[in-house]
Amino acid sequence: MDKQLDLLQGTLDMLILKAVSLGPLHGYGILLRIQQISKDRLEIQQGSLYPALYRLEHQGWITSEWGESENKRKAKYYRLTAAGKRRLQAEAENWNRMADVIAGILGTKPEEV
Amino acid sequence: MRLWTRIHSWLRAMLGRTRMENEMDAELRFHIEAYTEDLMRGGMAREEAMRRARLEFGGIERAKEECREARGLSFFETFSQDLRYGARSLRKSRGFTAVAVITLALGIGANTAIFSLVNAVLLVPLPYSKPEQLVSITGTYPKGAFVAMRNELRTMDVAAYFEGHEFNLTGRGEPVHLTATLVSAELFSVLGARAELGRTFDRGEDLPARNGYVILSHAFWQERFAGDATIIGHAVELEGVSREVVGVMPADFRFPSTKTQVWVPLDNDPRNTVAYWAGDFMPVIGRLRSGATLEQARAETRVFQSRVFQLFPWTMPASWNADVSVVRLQNGMVAEVRTRLLMLLGAVAMILMIACSNVANLTLSRAATREKEIGIRFALGAGRGRIIRQLLTESVLLALAGGLLGLLLATRGLSLLKTLLPADTPRLMEVHMDWRVLVFTAGIAILTGFLFGLAPALQSSRAALAETLKSGSRGAGMVVSQRLRGGLVVAEIAFAVLLVIAAGLLIRSFSALSHVNPGFGREHILTARITPNQSFCSDEARCIAFYRNLLDQVRGFPGTSGAALINTLPLGGRVSKRSVDVEGYVVATGQTAPLFWLNIVTPDYFQVMQIPLRWGRGFLESDVSGEPVAVITAETARRFWPKESAVGKHIRLLNDSNWRTIVGVIPDVRAYDLQRNVPNWIDGVAYVPYNPTATLEDKRVPAEMTLAIRTPSDESNLARQLSKSVAALNPEAAVSEVRSMDEVVSEAVSTPASTTLLFVAFAGLALVLGLIGIYGVLAFLVSKRTREIGIRVALGAQRQDVLWLVMKEGLLLAGVGLALGLAAAIGVTQFLASELYGVRPVDPLTYLGVAGLMAIVTLLACYIPTRRAMRVDPMVALRYE
Repeated sequence: MDKQLDLLQGTLDMLILKAVSLGPLHGYGILLRIQQISKDRLEIQQGSLYPALYRLEHQGWITSEWGESENKRKAKYYRLTAAGKRRLQAEAENWNRMADVIAGILGTKPEEV
Repeated sequence: MRLWTRIHSWLRAMLGRTRMENEMDAELRFHIEAYTEDLMRGGMAREEAMRRARLEFGGIERAKEECREARGLSFFETFSQDLRYGARSLRKSRGFTAVAVITLALGIGANTAIFSLVNAVLLVPLPYSKPEQLVSITGTYPKGAFVAMRNELRTMDVAAYFEGHEFNLTGRGEPVHLTATLVSAELFSVLGARAELGRTFDRGEDLPARNGYVILSHAFWQERFAGDATIIGHAVELEGVSREVVGVMPADFRFPSTKTQVWVPLDNDPRNTVAYWAGDFMPVIGRLRSGATLEQARAETRVFQSRVFQLFPWTMPASWNADVSVVRLQNGMVAEVRTRLLMLLGAVAMILMIACSNVANLTLSRAATREKEIGIRFALGAGRGRIIRQLLTESVLLALAGGLLGLLLATRGLSLLKTLLPADTPRLMEVHMDWRVLVFTAGIAILTGFLFGLAPALQSSRAALAETLKSGSRGAGMVVSQRLRGGLVVAEIAFAVLLVIAAGLLIRSFSALSHVNPGFGREHILTARITPNQSFCSDEARCIAFYRNLLDQVRGFPGTSGAALINTLPLGGRVSKRSVDVEGYVVATGQTAPLFWLNIVTPDYFQVMQIPLRWGRGFLESDVSGEPVAVITAETARRFWPKESAVGKHIRLLNDSNWRTIVGVIPDVRAYDLQRNVPNWIDGVAYVPYNPTATLEDKRVPAEMTLAIRTPSDESNLARQLSKSVAALNPEAAVSEVRSMDEVVSEAVSTPASTTLLFVAFAGLALVLGLIGIYGVLAFLVSKRTREIGIRVALGAQRQDVLWLVMKEGLLLAGVGLALGLAAAIGVTQFLASELYGVRPVDPLTYLGVAGLMAIVTLLACYIPTRRAMRVDPMVALRYE
């Protein structure tokens, strides 16, 4: 297994939005899904997940309701709202642009300057 | 939309707090249990799995706290935390809290009390239905012009009234002298007022022979008829005329003022040409018809005004009602007191500013001693915003406590204020605290808290940022703080100077007014209004005989050294106008004959009132039945005979056949008020002896006269004797308004007296607060510089050097404040001009006096801290820190 990366500041929100955009999930499920998609290469502080969820819900990007989990237990499920969808789109675009720029800078060779 | 979801989430969090806590618990528990199960599925023992799950999750409580914060719940939690912390910290420093709360309570209390007045008089809508439609026409009109107006105006329904008409109520026990308001029939319907009992007047009930009705005020109905409801439909005798009581108005109906006891319909009789076109000129109010605007009403009234001249049976002067306009009734009713109230509001606002500066200064001093505490909070991770917020919460808490105490003070102050203000202040009866006042007080308390809290909070949070814990007591922050404190004191002094100057001007004006020579003696004169029925006096001989007999009896009262009669007592609030022909005076075309104030007196009136003679002679007993004569005032003589003696010249009452010879000239008498001898629409003043030819405009001899008695004996005794004599001579004549001439004059200055008193109180308050400010700053300065002073003394500084070191600061602040205050006063006191008599707003004497006063009190305020500085013992001072 590769060494796990610390999460870049401010990206947890985006990852959560992405995770729930694929379908409603409870908190633990979101954690599992992010780890699964990232192939366990990202380290997420479990304790910091919930404040982020509450913040996103407070901002109206996700909503929650109580449902039943796979093992027949009550769990709180989060789903993306329309506003959250737009937000995710904007953040993703932003991220990609930023990544391009950074990659461009880092890929610069001495003769190109 | 987003805002809404936030509020929604926050509301949900606030309302369902326990539910949210439970859900949060359940959610986190679910997470840990699910993870535990996953770990167990990977082959871990249950105990070990649970331990791992908890460990990897991290601090559960911290996570919960962060979740709550994410919800925005923290605002209130922080707030209540700050509140508790603030209260604790204020409780700890009781001295500071007490001084600050009292200072603020004085400032806020004064504002609340004055605002209650402003609120009730200027802001609260009139207590009539749809008050926004009610207007007042700024001119006055005789009956004829009013009736034309009523018929022609399309934008509004109008009503006329005339307050202060005298009526006798007879036939039911002792005769009573009533103050009546004559009204056109639609006055009540225009105001939208209903009767408490019975009905109001119907249309047409102000026409001759159809107007035999009267409506009673609630107070009079209670007083005279003991609230007997069966009075409706019964007749009462008013001036010997029987009128049917049709209604009683509710207690809170006070139009046009509280003085009115009964409302009587006008007698709009065109056949009585003089009364119809030249009788009482009445104010007119109106109600805008639906769809009409104030501007339309104004325009229509101006057009009407241009036409109305043609209706008069004679030529009216072009200046009559030339600037007529239509204003909101609410503004029209209080026009006179408006400036005075706003002036008072300005004064208390300044006091509040001073109180704010003072408390800001105190807070700054306290902040200096709290630097360590604040530093520790920084070190523990509080942000600057967080510290500022905490300090502001504390000052708002302080201000609210001050506001609460202030509200208490204001309730007491308001009842005092109501007794202090002249009783004829419009709407004074309606003054009380309502929700507007409470909102105002809460508002200024919170605003005050921010005002005096913001600067210190910014200041100490910055100081703490720079200093944190590293130094013992002072550093860079101190210098800025000292400058800020200096600025606050300068502002305080400037405001105080402004108020003291205003008070000084008012005192000078009041003293000038009190020392005005009214032109008559005010001592040992008792006056009483004697009012037989008008019908009694239609037989002139009977009327005159009644008064002659009365005078004879009164002269026989023990101690009495003289008695006389006059129809309009000086400063008595009545004017009797009469058009007069003046010998040699040509009336310009388009003008009317000069309008005189006609005083009808018995011959020894001048002696009784101690009015001296300027030229010629006074009246003799023989003038009553002899050749027609008159006496005029010096001002009148100057106006009509500027170059020659008026004695021997002639005047003639309009429509009178005989010319009267002017036999004497008396000095001017302040008859209208203490500032003016006569109103500006009066051209001259004449006195004529009381006899059958001394008629008023209605061609009748006056029935109502005021008796003036020279006597050293006390009022109540004499009043009783007088009532008995009058009743014996004429059981239908009433005696009222029994008061000494001294009281009459005092009443004439009651308005300036109350304004002056209030301003003096406010100025005193401002002065004391301002001085506490200087003292506080200097005392703080000395305590902070004890060590420096100690070193200076150790190095050989003399006592006067130390003295100068401290005094310099105090005098500089006071000097700058004084200069600013004086400069501002030159501009601001212009607003006082309308209240001043005999002194200009920029009065050098007042300004110099105030400057001197400020210099003396500043020195006093500097004295204690300076003395403390001079006593600094270098040994102690150097060990001090």
